[in-house]
Amino acid sequence: MREIETDILIVGSGITAALMALRLSETTTRKITVVEAGGPSTLFADRMQARARYMAYGESPWKQDHLDDQNALGTTWGFSPSMTVGGLAMHWGGVTPRYSPEDFTLRSLYGIGDDWPFTYDELDPFYQEAEERMGVAGEQGPPALDPRGKPYPLPPLPINYNLGILQQWAANAGIAAWSNPSAKNSIARDGRAQCQRCDTCYPVCPTGAKYSPDFTWDALVAAGKVSLLTHTLVRRLQADSRTGRIMRATGNRTDPQGEPVSISARTFVLAGGFVWTPHLLLLSRDASYPEGLANRSGNVGRYLAGHRNVNAYLTLPMQLFPGINVQHSLVSKQFMRPGKQSRYLRHDLRIWESSVGSEPRLRDEHGELLLGNALLADWRNRATATNAGTARVRAYYDVLPHRESRLTLHDATQNRFGDPMPVLSFRDAPESAALRSWQEEQIRELFRRMAKVGNGKIARMENSASDLGQEHPAGGCRMGTDPATSVVDSFGRAHDHENLWVAGAPAQVSASCCNGTLTFVAVGLRTAAAIAKSG
Amino acid sequence: MTSPQNRTSRRSFLMTAGTFAAGSLAACEARSADPAAAAQPLRTTGFDRVGLDALSDCVLPDELGLEGRRAATAAFVAWADGYDPVAEEMHGYGYAEIRYLPPDPAPAWRAQLAGLDILARRSRRKRFAELDTTARRDLLAVVLRRERGDRLPAPLAASHIAVALLSHWASSAAAHDLAMGRAVTPLTCRTLNNVTTEPSSLPASRT
Repeated sequence: MREIETDILIVGSGITAALMALRLSETTTRKITVVEAGGPSTLFADRMQARARYMAYGESPWKQDHLDDQNALGTTWGFSPSMTVGGLAMHWGGVTPRYSPEDFTLRSLYGIGDDWPFTYDELDPFYQEAEERMGVAGEQGPPALDPRGKPYPLPPLPINYNLGILQQWAANAGIAAWSNPSAKNSIARDGRAQCQRCDTCYPVCPTGAKYSPDFTWDALVAAGKVSLLTHTLVRRLQADSRTGRIMRATGNRTDPQGEPVSISARTFVLAGGFVWTPHLLLLSRDASYPEGLANRSGNVGRYLAGHRNVNAYLTLPMQLFPGINVQHSLVSKQFMRPGKQSRYLRHDLRIWESSVGSEPRLRDEHGELLLGNALLADWRNRATATNAGTARVRAYYDVLPHRESRLTLHDATQNRFGDPMPVLSFRDAPESAALRSWQEEQIRELFRRMAKVGNGKIARMENSASDLGQEHPAGGCRMGTDPATSVVDSFGRAHDHENLWVAGAPAQVSASCCNGTLTFVAVGLRTAAAIAKSG
Repeated sequence: MTSPQNRTSRRSFLMTAGTFAAGSLAACEARSADPAAAAQPLRTTGFDRVGLDALSDCVLPDELGLEGRRAATAAFVAWADGYDPVAEEMHGYGYAEIRYLPPDPAPAWRAQLAGLDILARRSRRKRFAELDTTARRDLLAVVLRRERGDRLPAPLAASHIAVALLSHWASSAAAHDLAMGRAVTPLTCRTLNNVTTEPSSLPASRT
């Protein structure tokens, strides 16, 4: 048995954990230990080669970044099985929009869903901190649509030639769109390179221009500010049945020997994301806590939240040159702030250049085989057409979570230690379910209108995979002021255990209608500030 | 009679075969010390370069020139030889299960290359490489009659070596630029400079 003592134990080493650990290392003198089930993945020096093999063959650039017997079942769309130092943010896209103020007051404004226990304005300083720590390059949108207390830390990634044309088209349709904020260096910063538009931000940035948590861990470990214990799976938390305080975390090494590990701490921070955090709390059931820890409300694992999308390709009479910077886009928050509505709909809007419709093909429209010069001529005709540029547009719309949108334990599927694996079942709240068809049609109609304004047409339009899950998922340990209806308080502290904190995504009440990582981190930083204050 | 071009190609093939033999020997020596690797079957690499060059001459555009087509063929061979069968696929958002790349497609592609030769001998009483371009394409039209045509598959997903070779070339930044007539150079790490301006036309040497 390996026994470890520490002051603050952080379970998980993803992006929220990394930036919380950094903040805690600056604001407390307490000893910080971080436990990660996996190990380090592809070293920075090897990422150019890893990218080359990904591009050539589709190989994963992240070797051995998961445990074969530790995975989620059910509607897992939006989930990643990554278990490695840095978590799934080792292969995130680096897209960092903020939620809008409405997300925090849905019940008050629209009479649906639930309010968060704090407002956008209260989170603004932590959004700013998250942006500064990661290095977010962004363009201030119209202040009414894009409120923020301070400027972005980095200048925006440039609106390239294609996006400039598409921006004008969007403006003609009455849509304000600007450079999408991204945790990618628009200028060299923090010892990391300027973006080289390699166009593989997802899944691997070979130059280090995109922020990933390994940079923070490497610095913290090198400076001796945290102890990072890898290849160690925390399987249970043990609470004192009299005081409710968490006493220790126990688990095993994930190497073949599987040595047991016990870690005692004063403060426990669960940073395993929306799956592994509620999973650990449910696994930690015992005679005193038969429903699992922090679960007096019965809400651990419930209210899993996310969003879906409608996506379209529009053919427009303009000449674009796809490939200038494929993963960068325009964003509009115009539809996230719609004001009063008779029926509820909020969504974001992203616009990309696209090569759909102008790719090489093997047969022409008459079915004739195209080889050699014929293939190139056909490709060239379509790629250089001045009246057939392609724009990709996509809108995420928010889905309000049902209480039965939940994670449970699947006793029939166990890891090597006999722990049941989690099974996910996303479910829309009744108000979301009732609105879904209408909401999706409204978005499709917007896309049709945009095509019409540009004298173009819809080439293809589709909804996101229907019932496989939801994107940028969160929830499972929702925050709130009432211990009867929530798992943690507004700072992420468990109502039932004074020294147990839930970090980031799982604490969220809802998941808005845009990428979630920046908000996960901002919420986590707010939690880290409260932990530092808690003494 | 063998053309100078085919003599060069045959020499390339023999060099490839020689490299393969040497590589096999080195691999055998390494495998003898690695019991896990010894359980894996040896992987054959390389292609009949005479046949492959003949194929590339009729599926790749003339604009590449002979040198360009040979370079594209060499790049295809290097790509196929560098493949790691059943390596782990990128898993990201969207699916939880771990997926693996397909087994080595090259043996089937080699057989197809040989098949083109057999078909050419039966139907035209010549080797595939000895046919003119029109005749080669006629044979390919028969062989590829069931291939879908709305887009080229990824090279690894190509069910015939002709499509794999074509698709491998078409997925290159150079091919993209050739079709576009502009220096976009997609999927290539390059600076943010000049991203706001219209991509420049290709220099004459690249068209």
